Formats: sequence, structure tokens, C-alpha cells
Amino acid sequence: MRLIRMIVLLAFFLAVLPGFGKDKEAQFKSVEAKHFTRAEGVELSPEFTDYLYAELRAELTKAKLFGQVIGEGEVVDAADAPSSIIIEGTVTEYKKGNVAKDVLIGFTAGWRSLKLDTTIKRRSDQSVMASPQVHVRASPRWKDKVLAKQAAHQIVNDLKKALKDSGGAK
Amino acid sequence: MVSRVLGFGTVILPVLSVLCALAVADDPKPTPENTIHIELSEPVKPQTFARTLKFFVTDVTDRSGNAQPMMVYKPRKGVFLDRTPAEITREGLTKCLESASTLAADRESADFLLTVYIFRFGLSDSSGMDFFGKVEFAVVVKNAKTGKSQQVSAAGTSIAGVAILKKNLQKNVQDDINKAFGDALRNLLRGEKLRDAITALDVPPDAKAPEGTAPPASEKPVGATTGEEPVKNS
Repeated sequence: MRLIRMIVLLAFFLAVLPGFGKDKEAQFKSVEAKHFTRAEGVELSPEFTDYLYAELRAELTKAKLFGQVIGEGEVVDAADAPSSIIIEGTVTEYKKGNVAKDVLIGFTAGWRSLKLDTTIKRRSDQSVMASPQVHVRASPRWKDKVLAKQAAHQIVNDLKKALKDSGGAK
Repeated sequence: MVSRVLGFGTVILPVLSVLCALAVADDPKPTPENTIHIELSEPVKPQTFARTLKFFVTDVTDRSGNAQPMMVYKPRKGVFLDRTPAEITREGLTKCLESASTLAADRESADFLLTVYIFRFGLSDSSGMDFFGKVEFAVVVKNAKTGKSQQVSAAGTSIAGVAILKKNLQKNVQDDINKAFGDALRNLLRGEKLRDAITALDVPPDAKAPEGTAPPASEKPVGATTGEEPVKNS
């Protein structure tokens, strides 16, 4: 009985041990997020793009894929350029939504909608690694910045997938 | 009838004045408990230039137009800064330049003079699920010899989670502004804009300033003109 307990305990510790290991090394030395531009006809304030930029940087930091998340327009050493990427994009469509529809009909009717075209490219040769198209929706009863939060989260998820498919930094 | 109206007036007037006094009393006041200290955890190392340059911070002016620049968060009895944004910015920028030995002792020994205009310092409107720290300023970089200048803008942002307890909320606000401030300084000192401005303005050390070179008439950046609060160099 005691032996079984010991074995169970040992198995438990062995299973948990990798969790205490060091974080895996960042795949890229740096990532630069740029402010998203707005396509013609998109009625969003500059505050929104500022917030989207901040959320994107926060999500990139959380992702732990990059050694450093640098600000827009910061100098990068030429030696680090091949293992550095840039994220830029455009807000292509924004629909304000309709509170009345949301309240009366429900089931996501009248929700706000935001569409973004994103480009993820390598800094050294400007080669495009991925260009995900992001579409997020939220209730019009919430602030429009909730969309920015969702969009940033989705961009980073798409980026993770793209990096996984391409095999990371080369 | 007239006496009734007058009587009603005499009753309602004191009530309204008491309510107004209560409303004024609700405005948060700075106390040691709700005051936070903003300081760079570690100085930002500025980028290196072709030759060693010395900078001097002449003025830091608050152009945010904020009537209460030290109050960064109003609800829940408020959160206040212990110093003005201008003082914090001057100290942070000086510390960064000093760490890389690029701070001039005085105006005369400097290659470039820096005049900072703060447009935003503190929290900005967020989604409601987090705090959005934002620091924005413009720096007029002026060649001390030629008098020519260029404007460089810098911005820093940060996102921090909200909190229920006041103590945690205050800590999150402090961390958020600290990060945004550090980010803005980094954006300035390691930015391509500063590099381009210095490249355009810098002249070899042996070159003399042309006779009768007058400084440009307009050196101030475009921005809000209210709430100026210059901090002179001590």
C-alpha cells in the first residue's frame, strides 16, 4: 500500500515537473506593432486606434513569443532585424450596431462589427509572413473599445498560428 | 400668495445651498493614502549617435489643458500624483540622459537643447475592463550652435487590469502610468524620429555658426495652448 502511494506521488511530481521548468526561449528578438490606419469611411476616433495599439502590445507581451515588444518607430539593430517582425494593418470596416435591435431581437442582432486587415512581416526583407483578416463583434451596449480588445487578442492568436505553421524564426 | 412663494423660496434656498456644499465636498482631495509616486524603475538607455552628444533639458511645459494635472483617477476618492507631470517628466528624462553620460552640466556646454511639451500624462478612456495609461509629449530639439530646431513627438501606452480593492486599484494605476511613462521615454530616446532630427540638425564640432543666424521664430509645437505650466531648470 505504501509502495503504491509512493509511486502515485512520484508519478504526480514527474507530471508536474515540466511546469516548473524555465519559460521556453522567445522565438523572435523583437516585434513592433504599428498604429492601424483607417480606411476611407470608417468612423472611428484616433483614440480607438491608440487603444487598439496599446491592447495589441499588451497581448504580444502576454504571448511570450518575443524577447521585446518595441514601440512604433524605435530603432532596431541591423543584426537583430532578421529575427524581428512588424505588425501593421488597416481598419477596413466598422459598423456601430443598433441598441434597439440588440434589446428587442437579441441573438447578436444589431451588434457592433469591426473588420481589420493585418500584415505580419519580417523586418529584414519585408517579406509577408501572414496576413490574417480579423472580424470581431460585440454588443452595442458595451463600449466600442471592447472590440479593440477582442481584435488584439485574435490578431495575436492568428500570429501564433502563422508562426507555428511557418516554423518560427529562421 | 406672494408670501407663500417667498416662504417656499426661503425653505428651498438653504436646502439647495447645503446640497451644493455636499457636492463640493465629494470632490476628491489628495491625501498620503491616495497619492502615488511615479518614477522610472530603471533608466532608458538612449540610442548612440555618430559622435558623442550632450543634451540639456531647458523647459518642461504642461500643455494638457488639464485643470487638475495631478488627479489621475477621480472615482473612489481619487488617485493623485505626488508631483506635477512636468516635474516627473523632467526628472525621468534627466535620469535617462545621465545614465548614458549624455546630460550636459549646463546650457552652454550642451550640443542640443530639449524643450518638452506634455500633451497627456495619466489614464485615458478604456474599454472599462482595464486601465489605459497614456503619456504623450513633443520635444523641440534645438541645436545650441546653429539655433535650428525640429520637433519630435513621442508616446507611451500601457494596459493594466482593474481591481476591486482600493489598494490594488492604486497599485495598478501606478504600474500603468509608470509603464506608459517609461514607454514614452523609450519611444523618444530610442526612436527613429530623434535619430533623424539629430542627423538633420547636427553639425561637425569645428564648424562655426553663420553670422547673424537667428533662431527660428516658431519653435513651439502645435497643440493645446491652455494650462501652461513651465518648470524652470534648477
